Amino acid sequence: MTFRQALTHPWLTIRVQLALGAIFIAAAIPKIIDPPSFAHMIYNYRLVPGPLVNLIALLMPWAEILAGLALILGVWKRGARMLIGLMLVVFIVAILINLARGNAIDCGCFNVSEAGKTFEQRLTSMWWDILRDLGMLAMVGQLAFAERRTTVESIAPPM
Amino acid sequence: MTLRHPILQTSALLMGAAICALVANATAPQQRQLRLVGSYPNALRIPARASSPALPAPSSASESAAAVTQTSIVSQAPGIPPATDSSSPAATPAVKITPLVHEPASDKIAKPTLTTSHPPSSTNGISRPVAPAANPAPPVKASGSASADVSRFSPHPEKAYVEIGGADVAALHSAGALFLDARRTSVFEQGHVAGARSISVWESDLEEKVRRLFDERSDARDQAKPVVIYCSGGDCEDSHMLAEKLWGIQFNNVYVYKDGFPDWQKRGGAVRTGTAP
Repeated sequence: MTFRQALTHPWLTIRVQLALGAIFIAAAIPKIIDPPSFAHMIYNYRLVPGPLVNLIALLMPWAEILAGLALILGVWKRGARMLIGLMLVVFIVAILINLARGNAIDCGCFNVSEAGKTFEQRLTSMWWDILRDLGMLAMVGQLAFAERRTTVESIAPPM
Repeated sequence: MTLRHPILQTSALLMGAAICALVANATAPQQRQLRLVGSYPNALRIPARASSPALPAPSSASESAAAVTQTSIVSQAPGIPPATDSSSPAATPAVKITPLVHEPASDKIAKPTLTTSHPPSSTNGISRPVAPAANPAPPVKASGSASADVSRFSPHPEKAYVEIGGADVAALHSAGALFLDARRTSVFEQGHVAGARSISVWESDLEEKVRRLFDERSDARDQAKPVVIYCSGGDCEDSHMLAEKLWGIQFNNVYVYKDGFPDWQKRGGAVRTGTAP
């Protein structure tokens, strides 16, 4: 089995799909339970205009949970994958911008309460958050790659 | 489900999310509701302290308070003499001097629904260093006695708020000044300054509570009475946000307790739990 075959093997793909869905559902639950705290987290990023902070705090967790559910249930997989990929890119860019301007923040990714970290601890956590998001982005890439390969093979079966 | 194009699927998921969000918000308890359109005038402004060394993590209330006093300063409104705080000797060197007053960015402060008549301006305050944490903080007297002299806390209409330290806060508490707790209601219920009222800037009833306060103090003389706002100290900005909101409705004698509730607890101030002040 080649590396490419291993990377697109259905055994791996289904597990990545379930894991990514579960991660996004787990990330959404605390935000849905306590929207004001999540709005505070978004505010701390200092990237969203004031009038939009609450709207995004309300919308984003539900987008996360629906995309996660779609992946787990195997419904609208491509749309869910695209939505999750977009959100991950936004998260990474948002954290990078704040790292660049020295605004140390709590990610608010899986926990919406203040973590009580020092400035340096927050900066370090932000790098780890980016790494984690890149990992999830790689999972999205694996799903897309596996589907593309499957589609190609179904159209043109090997001779 | 016949939506085949991923963009259509993504749009459908987003629409579903929007519907779920609206329904969930409408049916949520008030403490967990959000106004759909937020009012956060400083949402795009990086806090000045963001690039400065952070305060140590408040793993406990006392630790937090001690950490804050090492690097913070207390500001006073012009005309306020130094507080007679034995824990703040003038000879104590300041560890770090930072801007005293969060000068309200007049063009950025949201004018609340109620009208404002304050001409925006910026004024520097007078500073003095806070005593190192090693010095024991004096116990805070119980509130209710009007014996404390608070005449030095004069109105300062030119700025939204003045940051003050524990000694000044204790004096104002003893004099029966109005205390507002800007933290979340759930945190307020776990413990707050005795007599304080809960007005969380992150909850949907903010405007209603502010309006009620304005109705209670619609007279100019009432609005000139000292009001102390606090949150959790450290990086917490909720008290500053609420102070700017009150300034916008003509409250011109608002003080922000810089070190917040952890410092109050450390000083042994009167604390209550539950929803009642």
